[in-house]
Amino acid sequence: MFEVSDIVAAYGQIEALKGVSLKVESGRITCLLGPNGAGKTTLMMTIAGILQPRRGSIRLEGAELAGLTPARIVSRGVALVPENRLVFPEMSVRENLQAGAYQRRDRAGVDADIERMYARFPRLKERREQMAGTLSGGEQQMLAVARALMSRPRLLLMDEPSLGLAPLIVAEIFDIIAELNRDGTTIFLVEQNAHMALKVAHQFFLMEQGRITFSGTPGQLAEDEVIQRAYLGTRRAAG
Amino acid sequence: MVDLVQNTIDGLMIGSSYGLLALGFTLIFGVMRRLNLSYGPSIMIGGYLGTVLYLQFGAGPLVVAAAVVIGAAVAGLYVERLCFAPMKAGAAIASMVSSFAIWMQLEQAAILVLPRHTYAFPALATGAPLEFGPFTVRPDHLVMLGSALGLAAAVQLVLYRTRFGLGLRAIIGNPVAAHLVGIDVRTALPLAFAGASAVGGVAGFLVLAVDQQVTPMFGMWATLKGLIAMMIGGLGSVPGAVLGGLLLGVIEAQSQWYFGPQIRDLMAYFVLFAVLALRPRGLVGSLPEAATQKA
Repeated sequence: MFEVSDIVAAYGQIEALKGVSLKVESGRITCLLGPNGAGKTTLMMTIAGILQPRRGSIRLEGAELAGLTPARIVSRGVALVPENRLVFPEMSVRENLQAGAYQRRDRAGVDADIERMYARFPRLKERREQMAGTLSGGEQQMLAVARALMSRPRLLLMDEPSLGLAPLIVAEIFDIIAELNRDGTTIFLVEQNAHMALKVAHQFFLMEQGRITFSGTPGQLAEDEVIQRAYLGTRRAAG
Repeated sequence: MVDLVQNTIDGLMIGSSYGLLALGFTLIFGVMRRLNLSYGPSIMIGGYLGTVLYLQFGAGPLVVAAAVVIGAAVAGLYVERLCFAPMKAGAAIASMVSSFAIWMQLEQAAILVLPRHTYAFPALATGAPLEFGPFTVRPDHLVMLGSALGLAAAVQLVLYRTRFGLGLRAIIGNPVAAHLVGIDVRTALPLAFAGASAVGGVAGFLVLAVDQQVTPMFGMWATLKGLIAMMIGGLGSVPGAVLGGLLLGVIEAQSQWYFGPQIRDLMAYFVLFAVLALRPRGLVGSLPEAATQKA
């Protein structure tokens, strides 16, 4: 179980997270919804250790993660697929995957995992010697996911994996998310595309202005009128 | 024609050390995305340490070489701790200005220890020039070329064949993502900084040994040559740095021979201007566009 309790984080004077608490059950897909500027990315960056929280605790299976360096957090079994993928553009697909396994010293295991990633993402295998910066957006997203998996995380964090991708690619990415979860990976996902998230996630949280304002199952989410209007209705109208 | 070829040979020899200077510079720029104006002065501090050992204890070239390299690396680390480590991401101007302040400090420190304008520096490989038909090559120039190309190749190997090199290239590519894959960026940065300054230290030793003298102005000289060669070759590339250095060396040697020393420096700046106007990323620049803009 992964648990965030009363996290406060700020950029200078501006509090982006005003006491966020949530729980992510092991082996499930948990989704965090919310409008732009709600603090979702800030929460992800704080969990990953890029930002230090002012207050609060972040625990994976009871062990405290708040205050650790990003590298230590990776070694504790948490990997983030960041917003906008952030692949290493001037490195080949293969080198990106090797970088994902930076903390691992078992060379044979790493090579085997790279082959496993190629099997799961055949497109990456075709492009393994290509510079990551030359890949399409969807391919870069798959690379970012594969790179995060190379550290063999117990908890996979994903920040808006559908951002800027064509609907067909988005569907493919969500198939992969469901598949990873079936294989036992716990996933905590930030998503604006509530329709796609509803198809895969087991548990939902809604964040508004730095606070969690709703939590529930997909059924409860669909019933809740406020969310319906704010995040499903307008989404449909806009899309 | 003989002059032209002879100038080219001389230029390539000297240019190889410019290439090394550019290589250290480009490594620092790559991982920090900031200009380190104290790069040359750090090397100068190494040079002064070598000269002190030479004058006081009669140290031989190998000991002096080690002292220059270690001195440059330690001074580089000092600069990193003072000007780069405390500055938050985005504060590139603050780092650059403080590295200018430390430049002045290092220069004054050198003048305090050795107040005369020039001091002797041990020669590297003395002996008669080698003759190849109508052309001559100084033995110390040959050592310079060999060491410079050898070290550049070694740096390339470290970057592309080792785990540490993979980590450094990841930091150069995207620092946030480097953190996210578990690279200990906070440890890697000072290591890279010291290593790059050490590379500059090797270049500094080679140049000083050929000149057989050191002055406090050597710091500025090294920063300028490294900067020009780096910009000509292109940021973020080992072959680019070497190519830029060799080219700068040849341009200087030719214009010195045909037009004299004043025009020589003018030509170097003119070529830099022309390259940047026509190819803003340098001849073989490979640093991502976004990275160059951020800096």
